[in-house]
Amino acid sequence: MTEKVKKKVPIVEGLFTWPSDQPALIASRCKKCGAIVFPKATYCPNPDCEKNSQNMETVQLSRVGKLWSWTIQYYPPPPPFKMEPFKPYAVGMVDLPEGLRVLGMLTTTENLRFDMEVELTVGKLYEDEEKEYITWMWKPVEKACKK
Amino acid sequence: MERDVAIIGVGMIRWGRYPDPKQLDVFPDKTMPEMAVEAIAKALSDAKISWRQVEAMVAGVYLWVNQQAGIHGILSGTAIANLMGYTGIPIVSVANACATGQSILREAALAVASGECDIALAVAADKSAFGFFRPQSTDGRADIDYMRFVMCGETNPAYWAMECRRRMYEAGTTEEDLALVKVVTSKPAPYNPYARYQRSFTLEEVLKSPIVCDPLRLYEICSTSDGAAAVIVCEYEKAKKICKKPVYINAVTVGTPTFGDPTVRLTYLSSYKKPGVPSLSESRNAVERVYRMAGITPDKIDLIELPDNSSWHYLAYLDCILNLNPGEPEKMLRRGDLDPITGKIPTCPSGGIGAFGEAVVAQGLAQVCELVWQLRGEAGQRQVKKEVKYALAQTYGYAGNNAATILSKGW
Ligand SMILES: [Zn+2]
Repeated sequence: MTEKVKKKVPIVEGLFTWPSDQPALIASRCKKCGAIVFPKATYCPNPDCEKNSQNMETVQLSRVGKLWSWTIQYYPPPPPFKMEPFKPYAVGMVDLPEGLRVLGMLTTTENLRFDMEVELTVGKLYEDEEKEYITWMWKPVEKACKK
Repeated sequence: MERDVAIIGVGMIRWGRYPDPKQLDVFPDKTMPEMAVEAIAKALSDAKISWRQVEAMVAGVYLWVNQQAGIHGILSGTAIANLMGYTGIPIVSVANACATGQSILREAALAVASGECDIALAVAADKSAFGFFRPQSTDGRADIDYMRFVMCGETNPAYWAMECRRRMYEAGTTEEDLALVKVVTSKPAPYNPYARYQRSFTLEEVLKSPIVCDPLRLYEICSTSDGAAAVIVCEYEKAKKICKKPVYINAVTVGTPTFGDPTVRLTYLSSYKKPGVPSLSESRNAVERVYRMAGITPDKIDLIELPDNSSWHYLAYLDCILNLNPGEPEKMLRRGDLDPITGKIPTCPSGGIGAFGEAVVAQGLAQVCELVWQLRGEAGQRQVKKEVKYALAQTYGYAGNNAATILSKGW
């Protein structure tokens, strides 16, 4: 019996590059003032900047950042959140070099430390007959792999 | 303000679950407009005026519109007026998340201050979702709240817990401090007939309660509740004639964030940080403005009602309200300075949101009701011991809203 390889799809499209070996979050950058917004936005959020959609370009964010804080969610949230099977998971806030602090689940609940390096990856939340539904996740960078 | 404004009547129903299958005798089934009408009736009777004397009304929009109220939730003011009886007055419905209560108090006060009318009413009722709050749509393209919920699994307590953990790291807040917040705020709860949980908690009980989102435990996080409250404001000179103890509104305002605030606030997926911009800027902006409007500084505040949605909130909002460094509220708490009845700065004599639970749009008005009873000396066994000149209520709201009010004796 061969197991069918299911297609992996993001639950919400357009938030990170996919399919990709090195997924990155997709943001908007203002060409006038450099302000960055995630997810993508039509207008620059800087109150002193022009509200002209032409100024906004699409950029990919750095894939490595520092873990600012995290928690472990022990109780299953209600729908529309879905994770099968449910197990306690970590959610964190990560500081990126672009000046953004970005939310996301973490791949592990173990050995998390303040300001540790984490890298963007994807992880499964649930699947059906056809597809596996994924989201972006932050994964601790293995120190041993660092050159 | 152009004309001075005072509060002449307040009313509230007991916070709880309507209906609560287990406690039907305590909390009978009521719709949100019915809850609002009960609160209005109590406020009218407190002010000894009739519904016909109310010249303008502002209502909080029920947050859980899809689930529980439909179109009536969006037009809450109109739905309430339908039950009260139409009198042709201006009615506006407002949604500013948890900051709604004092946002509508501001609208009512401005209506009177501007001279549009002499007597205006702010009313809010809400029934919250059971368990964790959740997004109200399933639009993955446009609803950022849906995105953060399904893609990041971030519940509201998870957000609070992340902020809390970083505070512990930076300010040295301990697990005992977090538990102590609940012990201290729940002390007056047995004496508040409007609180949902009329009991106090011991340190051991709180520390033994299960962890929901570490480091926050079950008893360190408020529940979701149903509730309603109403406040009647009146032009000050007229208020002095019709009421023995008019409570003077020194200032009431709303705050929103400053660009560059590092806070990744609820519903959002990221923040864009700028050097020098403080966190929780919506709260700092509201608080700064309310002091400026009242012409006083934080050291003049004698009594506080703040949004203790979790133990982290209690500490973080004391930083904002009293302009303290993280770590200082923890010391004040341990010293007993914040004891709700006997403290130097009594904080949450109502028992706080911990004792009430979140009835989202109504809680800002519930805080104001408590300050009015305290200023008038009508709070019974939870009456604060010190002489109160200035009392402050402050509520933060989902996604970048905040409201603050300063009250004093007007007699
Ligand atoms: Zn710009």
